[in-house]
Amino acid sequence: MNSLVILNSVIDEIGSALLFFVNILKTLMRRPCSRDELFQQIWKVTMQSLVTTGLAGFFVGAIMAVQFTLQMREFGALGYLGGLATSATVREVGPLLIAFMLAGKVGAFTSAELGTMRVTEQLDAIRCLGADPLQEIILPRFLAIICASFFLLGLGLVMSIGGGILLGGLLAQVSVEEYLRHIPAIVTLSSIANGLVKCFIFAVILATVCTYKGYTTTGGAKGVGLAVVNTAVSTMVGIVVADWLTSFIADVAIRAFVGSPF
Amino acid sequence: MIKGYAVLDFVGKSVMDSYQGVTQFIQLVVDSLAEGFRPPLRIRETVQQLYFIAVQSLPIILFCVCFAAMVTILESSFHMKLVIQNDSMVPGFAAMLILRELGAVVTALLVTSRVGAGIAAEVGTMKITEQIDALRMLGIRPIHYIVVPRLIASVIGLAILTIIANLVCLFVAFLVSEIYLGFTSGLFITGLVRFIHFQDLVFSIIKGACFGFVIPLVSCHFGFLCASGAEGVGLATTRSVVASSVIIIILDFVLSFVFSFFS
Repeated sequence: MNSLVILNSVIDEIGSALLFFVNILKTLMRRPCSRDELFQQIWKVTMQSLVTTGLAGFFVGAIMAVQFTLQMREFGALGYLGGLATSATVREVGPLLIAFMLAGKVGAFTSAELGTMRVTEQLDAIRCLGADPLQEIILPRFLAIICASFFLLGLGLVMSIGGGILLGGLLAQVSVEEYLRHIPAIVTLSSIANGLVKCFIFAVILATVCTYKGYTTTGGAKGVGLAVVNTAVSTMVGIVVADWLTSFIADVAIRAFVGSPF
Repeated sequence: MIKGYAVLDFVGKSVMDSYQGVTQFIQLVVDSLAEGFRPPLRIRETVQQLYFIAVQSLPIILFCVCFAAMVTILESSFHMKLVIQNDSMVPGFAAMLILRELGAVVTALLVTSRVGAGIAAEVGTMKITEQIDALRMLGIRPIHYIVVPRLIASVIGLAILTIIANLVCLFVAFLVSEIYLGFTSGLFITGLVRFIHFQDLVFSIIKGACFGFVIPLVSCHFGFLCASGAEGVGLATTRSVVASSVIIIILDFVLSFVFSFFS
């Protein structure tokens, strides 16, 4: 009985988040937000998480280099280290990492901000003034998170290549030229497309969840705290599930259209 | 001229702030280690925290780790076919990646976002409602009462969670490789035995325990520093989650690097 109630509330929550998403899209089609506000938000989001993303990207690149060194050593294929580590980062780890970092930083910040606005009735005040809070407040933040995640993805990838080069040199004695040489051969266009699509989907999920949780906050200061924690947890679950879905669909699509992967 | 001063001012202030933060954090670590060995052992508190940290996080961790394992084995199959045109080693490699990185890190990141945020919010609220001062007035040492039970519970809890996450991860990878990628169970287990040693599991548990050491300390640090007001609590929560995530990734790299010399 208890688990049924929980399941029911989870389905309820997912459904209303989807409706909220559709509402945002409708607003986007009909009444786009002001350009100034959008650029301001993009700048804010990007600058907020620049250092964190760069730092995390650097160390993730280093971790990938260490792990692939251990695996490739068995085959004596250390020359492929750079290509493989970069390919794994572009396809999989990079988008996932950016999404996790943004969920902790921007997602929590946005839902706390919107939740405080909701609790102190600022959103109602905006509606009283004849403006649409969805258009004025939510839409710029929603679009800014999606745009900024691409910039941050680029930064994270560059930093991860830097970390990989450093550790490849230290641990596996792979020179910079050798590290970089195999990257164009192994990182194909489809890998980059895969990474970009993943990044976009994660950003949409993050933006939807954090604006939805902030917008529907109830119950004073404690409610805001609860909304922030809920945002972080449900974003991470959503991102992991979406990650699996996109990998799976890409795999099935490749098998269906090309026959075998290669 | 004035602009130049502003930049200098900003740089100096942020350097001083971060220096102060780091010293306070180190002080907190040393204090809680010292307090940890002092007599009144708060077993009840510790067990309560263990329930909150480990048992209540278990479903969400298992759910996420299952999907992460599926992605890992699909992606490593893709890369193996790409480079050596042969994916017979995939089970072994995927299992190695799961044991060395995935199990511990994904668990720790999820616990950070759930438990770390919870602890920071709780301690921050205690701080701004002056409950910590009240504790001190009653002659109870706040670090001994608040930090130590959470620290012990988190170290034990994350070590156990890491073991469970690793086993479930391996099992899901096994299922996917048998049903979807067409390996027989014998091939998978042979790969496992060939590539994985007992020390991998031990390293993974050590990693989990180290992450468990970091999470409550960072959260309590930001909770104790919490500025007054509802916004202060929100800010403390966000900062603690971000700082723990970054520290976990850096620590993961350091530990991987150290462990790579033992295998």
